[in-house]
Amino acid sequence: MAHGEILAGFLAPHPPHLVYGENPPQNEPKSEGGWEQLRWAYERARKSLDELKPDVLLVHSPHWITQVGHHFLGVPHLSGKSVDPIFPNLFRYTFSLDVDVELAEACCENARKRGLVAKMMRNPKFRVDYGTITTLHMIRPQWDIPIVGISANNSPYYLTTEEGLDEMDSLGKATREAIEATGRRAVLLASNTLCHWHFHEEPALPEDMSQEHPHDYAGYKWDMRMIDLMRQGKTDEVFRLLPQFIEEAFAEVKSGAFTWMFAAMGYPQIPGELHGYGTVIGTGNAVMEWNLVKAGLAGAQRRTAA
Amino acid sequence: MTVVAAFLVPGSPLPLLNPENGPWRPLMSGFARAARSLAAARPDAILLYSTQWMAVLDELWQVRPQVSGLHVDENWHEFGDLPFDLRIDVELAEACIAGSREIGVSAKPVDYDQFPIDTGTIVASTLLDPEGRFPLVIAANNLYHDGPTTRRLAAMAAECAKAQRKKIAVVGVGGLSGTLFREQIDITDDRIARPEDDKWNRKILQLMEKGDASALERVTGDYVKEARVDMGFKHYDWIVGGIGGRYFGAQVHGYGPCYGTGAAVVEYRL
Repeated sequence: MAHGEILAGFLAPHPPHLVYGENPPQNEPKSEGGWEQLRWAYERARKSLDELKPDVLLVHSPHWITQVGHHFLGVPHLSGKSVDPIFPNLFRYTFSLDVDVELAEACCENARKRGLVAKMMRNPKFRVDYGTITTLHMIRPQWDIPIVGISANNSPYYLTTEEGLDEMDSLGKATREAIEATGRRAVLLASNTLCHWHFHEEPALPEDMSQEHPHDYAGYKWDMRMIDLMRQGKTDEVFRLLPQFIEEAFAEVKSGAFTWMFAAMGYPQIPGELHGYGTVIGTGNAVMEWNLVKAGLAGAQRRTAA
Repeated sequence: MTVVAAFLVPGSPLPLLNPENGPWRPLMSGFARAARSLAAARPDAILLYSTQWMAVLDELWQVRPQVSGLHVDENWHEFGDLPFDLRIDVELAEACIAGSREIGVSAKPVDYDQFPIDTGTIVASTLLDPEGRFPLVIAANNLYHDGPTTRRLAAMAAECAKAQRKKIAVVGVGGLSGTLFREQIDITDDRIARPEDDKWNRKILQLMEKGDASALERVTGDYVKEARVDMGFKHYDWIVGGIGGRYFGAQVHGYGPCYGTGAAVVEYRL
C-alpha cells in the first residue's frame, strides 16, 4: 500500500509586495525592488524546497475565505489573471497551475470522515486567490510542482478562536492521512503573516523602504517571542500561547493555516529554521521551515533508521 | 431633487443563481419590483456600496469606464458563474475621490483590467438594472470605517452628484441577520437560521416601513450585536447618508432567507 509522507512545512506569508519587489514576468506592475530581507529569505527556502523534491505542494490561504465548509481546488488546471483587491497597484499576476486533484479529493474525503464540512471546487472558471498565488510563486516560481489549494473556512472568526482552530487541527490530521494514503511526498505551506497590525496608507513609492518598519513595538515583541520559541522547537509552548498572540497581535495565524500545518506534521517539537523576518506595511512576516527529513522524522533518514 | 430612489438589497448570489428555489423567490420578486421602481425613477447614476467589496487601506472608487467579465463566487462556486458588464460614471466617481479627501478620508481610484468585482455589486446591478441602463458609482467597504464615516462618504457623494446636476439612486448592498447554516442544507428548506433573528429582522423592517428612522437608530446597536448583522449594517448607513438622513417610510418588496441569513429588498420613500 502506498505510504506517502510530509517532508517539511513552511511558514510562507503572502504579501503581494514580495512578488512586486521581485519583478517576475508574470506580474504587470514593475518596481525598483524592496522588501529584500523577506525576498532573500524566500530564496533560501526555495533552495531547501528544491533539495526536498516533493511531489506536491499544499497551501492553505486566508484569502480564499469560505463560510460553508473547507474547500479544495478540484480542477486539474487553472489559469488566469489574479488582481489583488487590496493592492491592485502591486499585484496583477498571470498564473497557470496544475492541481493534484486525486490528493485534493482524498483530503476532502478524509476531512468529511473527521466530521468536517468539506467540498471540492469544480468550477473551471474559478479565479485562484492572490494569497495562494503569492505563496506559491515565492516558494517555487517555476510552477512545476502540482499543488493542492485549501480555503480558509471562517470558523475561527465566526465561532471562537479555539473552536475554529480545533477545526483546523482536524483538517490538518485529515490532510496527513490523505498524503499517507496516496503515497505523495508532500510539502505544506502555511500562508500566514504573524502580527497583522498594519499602516492604513501606502507611501507614494510603495517600495520606499525608509517607510517600512513594524507597525508597533508590542506586535514586534510578540513576533520575536513566538519566533524564538519556534526556533527552539518549543511547539507546545507556541500553541499554548497562540490564542493570546492572536488576540494581542491581531495575528493572521488566526485564519488557521499555521495550526493546519502543525496538526498535519504531528506538532513536532523540532527547531524551526528562520530563513528571514521582515515587515510589510507594518505587518510581521517570517519565512520559516520545519524540515522533517533533516529531523529524521521523514524521508531517507527515517527509512534507513527503520 | 438629487436622490430619486434608494434601495437596500442583499448581495448573496444564491437567489440570482437559483431563481426558482422556493425560499428565494420572494427576494427575486422583490428585486423585480425594485427594478421597475428604479427604471421609473430614471436616475443619471446609481451610487452603490456593497459590503462585499472590502478595502483596508483607503476608500476605493471604481473609475474604469467599462468593467466586464465573469465572476465565480469563492463560496458558492458550485451554483454557477456571474457574468457582469458595468458602466461607470467616471466623472462622478472622480469627484467622489476628491470629495473623500476633502472630508479627511484617504481615497484612491481603481482602474485595472480584471480587477475582481465583488459578488454583491454584480448581484445588485444585475437584478436592479438588468439592461444596464444606468451608470454606476461603486464605493468600497473599508473595513476600518465605522457607520458615521460611511454616512459622511455617502453624503459627500450625493453632494458631488448635486454639483454635477445629476439625479441619483442610492443603493446599499448587504444582508440582515448574519447567522449562516454552516453545514450543507437542502436549499428548498432554507429558512432564517434562528427565530430570534427573524424577529429582529421583522422589527427593523417594520420600523423602516413606518419611516421611524430615529427609533431604528436607537435599536440598531443591539440589532447588530444580537443578530450578527452583516458588516455592522454599514450598507444601511450608506443609504441614510446618501439620502440626507430622512425617509418617510419604506416598502419591503421581499424578505427571506439566504442559507440561514436574513435578506430583504427594501425601497425607501423619499
